[in-house]
Order: sequence, then structure tokens, then C-alpha cells
Amino acid sequence: MPDPAPRRVPIEGGFFTIPDDPREAPRLLGSRCRACGEQFFPRRHVCARCLAAGTEDVLLGPEGTLYTFTWVHVPFFGKKEAAGAGYGVGQVDLPEGPRIQAVLSGTREELAIGIPMRLELETLRETPAGEQVVIHRFRPVTGRARPDLGVGVRA
Amino acid sequence: MRLENVAVLGVGQVRFGVHKTKTGIELARDAGLLALADAGLDLRGVSEAFVGYVQPAAMLGVKAMKELGLTGLPVTHVENASATGLVAFREAAHAVASGRAQVALALGFDKMSEMARGGQGGRGVGRDSIDSVILPAAYFALWAMRRMHERGTKPEHFAKIAAKNWNQGALCPVSDRQANHLVTPEEVLASAKIAEPLTAMMACPADDGAACAILAAPEFVRRLRPGRPVVRVLASALQSETYTPGHTFVGPVVGPATMSRDTAAEAYRDAGLGPEDVDLAFCHDAFANEELEYYELLGFCAEGEAEKLVEEEATSLGGRIPFNTDGGLIARGHPGGPTGLAQIHELVVQLRGEAGRRQVEDARVGLAHLVGGGSVCTVTLLARD
Repeated sequence: MPDPAPRRVPIEGGFFTIPDDPREAPRLLGSRCRACGEQFFPRRHVCARCLAAGTEDVLLGPEGTLYTFTWVHVPFFGKKEAAGAGYGVGQVDLPEGPRIQAVLSGTREELAIGIPMRLELETLRETPAGEQVVIHRFRPVTGRARPDLGVGVRA
Repeated sequence: MRLENVAVLGVGQVRFGVHKTKTGIELARDAGLLALADAGLDLRGVSEAFVGYVQPAAMLGVKAMKELGLTGLPVTHVENASATGLVAFREAAHAVASGRAQVALALGFDKMSEMARGGQGGRGVGRDSIDSVILPAAYFALWAMRRMHERGTKPEHFAKIAAKNWNQGALCPVSDRQANHLVTPEEVLASAKIAEPLTAMMACPADDGAACAILAAPEFVRRLRPGRPVVRVLASALQSETYTPGHTFVGPVVGPATMSRDTAAEAYRDAGLGPEDVDLAFCHDAFANEELEYYELLGFCAEGEAEKLVEEEATSLGGRIPFNTDGGLIARGHPGGPTGLAQIHELVVQLRGEAGRRQVEDARVGLAHLVGGGSVCTVTLLARD
């Protein structure tokens, strides 16, 4: 019998789901206003648009469009190493409305404003108990499928 | 509201930089003593004080004021991230305008060099916070990349702004960065990459400092400092964010950009002035691309024309509307709490006509703008009688 997959825990609770199946994309924990329908990430009680109190919980993502990005050459918070070749950071517009600021995976060459992006989880480090501390990030949806993430081929 | 009957009585600033042998409170004391000497007072003449810093610690403002004396005056702490100093100044101006204080003091200090090395705690910072994953440099770089996509802006535009500020900082004795040679845009572009398209020389340093301003009614200033030009506070607007679609709630947030436009419009309206009346301006140039955006958002050119302003050097000393004559956050420095009061210090020096080699000719109206994370924006307008 293979070793069970290590338990994954969020860097901070209340922001994203951690699916039991590592091939499944995570979702973001959001809110929808019951009065005007505006959707938000992260969760909030009072609607920022119409100020009605009492939103409902929704799951957002996992897909969106890259609004802007940068390639960062300085160390990543929560990591010891200076990130080697660097890493991407971007803002991704979800079709549901919210714009999500997050770390990006993939290479610099893969990134361009307007490309489709998909959520995944990245392991930042391991706890002494052997749990993986994870954070959500977006990966460019390229023509190449990544079977381990279940990302389909796109035109 | 338009501020009536408020003028600057005194200003003081210690040179920004890494101060290894002085505590933040000692820096605050030194800036306070400089401002009191400039005003012609000691602490007995001050009715009320507003003290700002961004380091996560309680009580330091009262402790800093005690270094200037224990006179029983009311002391209030003010914190609004990078905008802290200008917001402390705003509180002092309103205390005088309302008649509550005859003389009000605004003091800011910080040791960002120590905060940057770690040991932070408190609100929304630290290793296990989703808010701290994205660095401020990355956040502002996102803004720069979008600008380049929409307007065809080149990294050379940002480099030219940074080089201008480095060279202007070298003319100001209290600025941190004093380059011993003329800084070129090429040198700025060739410095270490931080976050595309930003390089190290396009970014402000993490330094230490303190600055102070003392306010009173114009008649009071004329009495204490006869013969000195009177610099009035015309308006000081402060806004937090208005919700717009595309608002990002997580990570470093200093936006939306419209916050600067709206806050400036409020300040202009209060003062009964427009950008065409302003002779010099200061802005939150923590990263060079911000300054380019603020040319438009503060009303100094039409949307999409900021690049032209850079190419024409209209915002350099000698240009139509000089920006950041002391080098701005990039070269004067940006310790946090005192930053806005350093802008006020340089504005007052300019409006009094005491800026020497970097003097803006016949400067009469000046603007100071800062944004602060969270986020807020504040715009102050000063004018010489």
C-alpha cells in the first residue's frame, strides 16, 4: 500500500479550499451579496457595493484572466531562498467579478496580460509534524496539459 | 473644508538615512528641537501634539514628546501607514483652525532600517499571513506593467523620473541619498532588478528619520517671526477607498488609482485652487512609476500625457511643475511616519525662498500628496501670502 499523501494545511485559514484529491483545483472562499449580487474575495459580511449586511458564502474560481503581472526577483515572504530565477505575481479577473491578487506559477515567458489562468495550490514548506503548508496561486492555462493538476487542453 | 487662519510657524527635519547610533525617539527629539527653534518657542508654547510612526508599538509618541518636556499638553497618536506624517499634520492644522489649539505640533519618526530587517509583528504582517505574501514592490510593479500595456510606457520613462529624483536629492542637505555623480536613466535601468519593470534605483530606501512641523494662526506667526514669509495651510484632504469593481482586498493595497484623483479634487475644491495654480508638488514616489501616474491623477496633465511630461522634463527643477524637489521618497527617503512631514519641511523651505540651489523660482503654492497602505490618500495645499 502506498504512503498516504501528506496532509495539506493553509498558510492562513478562510481563503481557499484544499480538495482531498490533489488533482482537483482549489476554489476561493468568497461571498455574494443577497441584495445586489456583487461577489467578493475574501469573505465579508457587509456588501462593499450596496452596504447590505448578510452575504452568502460562495466558491469562486478556479478560472480567470490575467489583468496584470510582474516577475519578482526578490525573496518570497514565507520562504528562505531568494527564489532563484524569480517568480510571477499577478492580478486575475474572475468571471464572477472579483480581481484576485496572487502569486503565479509558470515561467516569465508564459505570462502575458489577457491569458487564461487557473488556480492551484503551492507548497510553501513543511511543518515539524510533516504537514504541507500551502497557498493558492494561478498557473497559465497553456496548450500543454498538466495531468497532475487536471488542466485540460485549451485552444 | 477650507482651512482658515492656519499657518506654519516652524519646521525641522533630521537628515534621513540609516542612524545606527540613535533611537527613533532620539531622532524625534532632534526634529522637534529643530522645529521649536525655527518657530522661536519651547514646549511650553505648544498647546497640543500629534505624533505619528508606523512601527508596531504603542505609547512611543508620548515618550518622544517627553524628551522635549513634560508640560501636560495633550498628545495623540496618528497612524496611516506611509501617509502618517501628512495625516498628523492635518490633525494639527484642524486643531488650530477649530480654535482648540493656539499652537499645534505634528511630529513623525521611524526606523525603517530596523523594521526592514525583520522582527515585525502586529497587523497583517508576518510569515503566516496571506496579506504578506506579495511584496509592495510587486504590487506597484503590477501597476507599472498594466500602464505599459495600456499606454506604451517604457521602463525608460520610469528610469528618467528616478534619475531626476536622485539628482534633486543630491541638492538637499537633509535627503538620504546624495549621489556623488550625475545619475543617468541608463544607470537606473542597469541597477538590480526587483520586480519587472522596476529596478533597485527606482525604489525608495528603507531608512530612518524624523520631521516636525508647528502650526499657529498667521498673526501669531507674524508676531513671533516678523519679516518671514507666512506660509498658510489652505486645505488638507484625507480619503479612504471608495469601492470600485476590480478592487483587490488581499495583499498590499494602495488603490484604486482614483483615490488620488478624488482626494486631490477635494483639496483643490477646499482651497479654491486648481492644479494650474500649483508651483511645485510632492507625491508618494516609493516607486518611480507611481510618480508618473500621479502627474495625471493630481491634475498636472491630461490622462495619457504623463509620458510626454517626463520626456519634456516638465517635472524637473526648472520645468513647468517641479516634482519632489528634495528627491522625494526615492532619494530624500521614506522612513514611514516622518515622510509627510519631510514633504512639508521642504515645501515650507521652498515657499519661504530658502531652498538655495534647488529653489523653485517665485514658488507660491505647493502640494503634498501621499498614499498609505490599507489604503488611504491625503493631499495638502500650502501657499505663501
